[in-house]
Amino acid sequence: MPDPLLYLKAMGAAGIVSMTFVPAMVRARPRAGRTWLNSVCVIGFGLGLAAGCCVLSLRLRWPPANGLDRLLMIVVPAVLGIEFIAGIQRVPQWAAWLLRLTLAATIPAILLHGSIYLSGHDDEWPLWRAGVVMAVCSALLAGVWSLLAWLSRRSAGVSMSLTLCLATQCAGLTVMMAGYIGGGTAAFPLVGALIATSIGARLTLPFVGVPTSFVAPAIPGIGVVGLFGLIFIGCFFGRLPTGSAVVMLLAPLLCWISEAPQLRHQKGWLIGMLRLVLVAIPLVAVVVVAKHDFDRGMAPLLEAEHE
Amino acid sequence: MRQFISVWLMTLLVGTVAIGSGESATAADDYDYDLVHSSVSFKARHLGISWIHGRFNDVAGKFSLDREDPSKSTFELTIKVDSVDTANKARDEHLRQPDYFDTKQYPTIEFKSTSTKVIKGGFEVTGDFTMHGTTKKVTLVLMGGKEHDFKKVKRVAFSTELSLKRSDFGFDKNAIGPIGDEALIIIDCEGVRNS
Repeated sequence: MPDPLLYLKAMGAAGIVSMTFVPAMVRARPRAGRTWLNSVCVIGFGLGLAAGCCVLSLRLRWPPANGLDRLLMIVVPAVLGIEFIAGIQRVPQWAAWLLRLTLAATIPAILLHGSIYLSGHDDEWPLWRAGVVMAVCSALLAGVWSLLAWLSRRSAGVSMSLTLCLATQCAGLTVMMAGYIGGGTAAFPLVGALIATSIGARLTLPFVGVPTSFVAPAIPGIGVVGLFGLIFIGCFFGRLPTGSAVVMLLAPLLCWISEAPQLRHQKGWLIGMLRLVLVAIPLVAVVVVAKHDFDRGMAPLLEAEHE
Repeated sequence: MRQFISVWLMTLLVGTVAIGSGESATAADDYDYDLVHSSVSFKARHLGISWIHGRFNDVAGKFSLDREDPSKSTFELTIKVDSVDTANKARDEHLRQPDYFDTKQYPTIEFKSTSTKVIKGGFEVTGDFTMHGTTKKVTLVLMGGKEHDFKKVKRVAFSTELSLKRSDFGFDKNAIGPIGDEALIIIDCEGVRNS
């Protein structure tokens, strides 16, 4: 049954671990530069996520038994590994993007492994249909990932990480309200770790000789893959409506509006606020619709079970 | 002459094998699960004070009864979990989600016998029971087994109950909540003999 206090504890634990680890490690080697900062962000996020999952007592099994297991035990470690490698300055950009696009192409197949979608025995899901859907999902993931990575290089700032956290949290709540409580809870440690990593890295930038506008390239990648994975399992294994899933995945792209010629030279805090508001509008609409559906369908059931 | 004898011997051998296999085929009767006259239902405790009842509407199966050597009898049952029906649409949808049955990942519950022995009034059947991706050995006591001819179609029926803990089959303990861990599955199965 949903336990809001436990979710907040998980988010807090993830945040505290990441927020402690990232500044401590960055300041341990103040002249190490961007590669070190990126690596610390990757490890800090991973540790924070692990701490949050421990607090939630998520039953992860090896070999992974369901979509959530595969998200947390294969997909997230894979993106952390790739972003760790991609952040090394000697690794050429084309090689880093080759790795990212390969992962984007395989994530749907990893998450759907062993399910009715890939069995070929389900009349509603012949293999050709599953293939087309996976290709579209991979293309969407690759598109959102590359556009946000491009935006973070062009106009960096912690606001983009915050919009990804907002989208992930809304996705988690929507997945939970659609009836997949276990899947939605994973959003809490994901968001806690990502927000603390982003803010922790931002606070230490003045001490390491890196411009304060710098964002570790790992952060958009980790955020986008976490958001996509959560939405994907909610949609294919839970009952998250496709329309809501697409809106929540694409919402962070609204950050690009701040690149309009009239807006891009505004002050940093104003740009950040604008991005958050723009991204929040469709997300709030999706959550409101999900809450309405929840009140009609699931809430009476949960209330009856608690009586 | 030698060629004629070889052909004759070969014909005799093949004929013997064919008759032998024909005899073993007729010793066991094969039956299909009759969905119209059978049911797979379940009940689970609510708050430890009452029972919630439900059933699975889409079930298939077959069994083979060998009256001469009952240990050769076999039983198979496949339940489509998506067909869960507790007379509450919202609850059924919730039960299909990954927090419970995870029907997209584990679409069926299956039983396949591995050994059978005769007991008074029926059979004791041991086999592999697979639910939620976990397989465990279970023993079912099938009561019944009497044959009945209805409109020249031979029918046989069995009844059994199986008590199990959901947590033994990988269900999330956090999701068990007010619905008890233990569930009772009740199977009333009528088989129609294959013509």
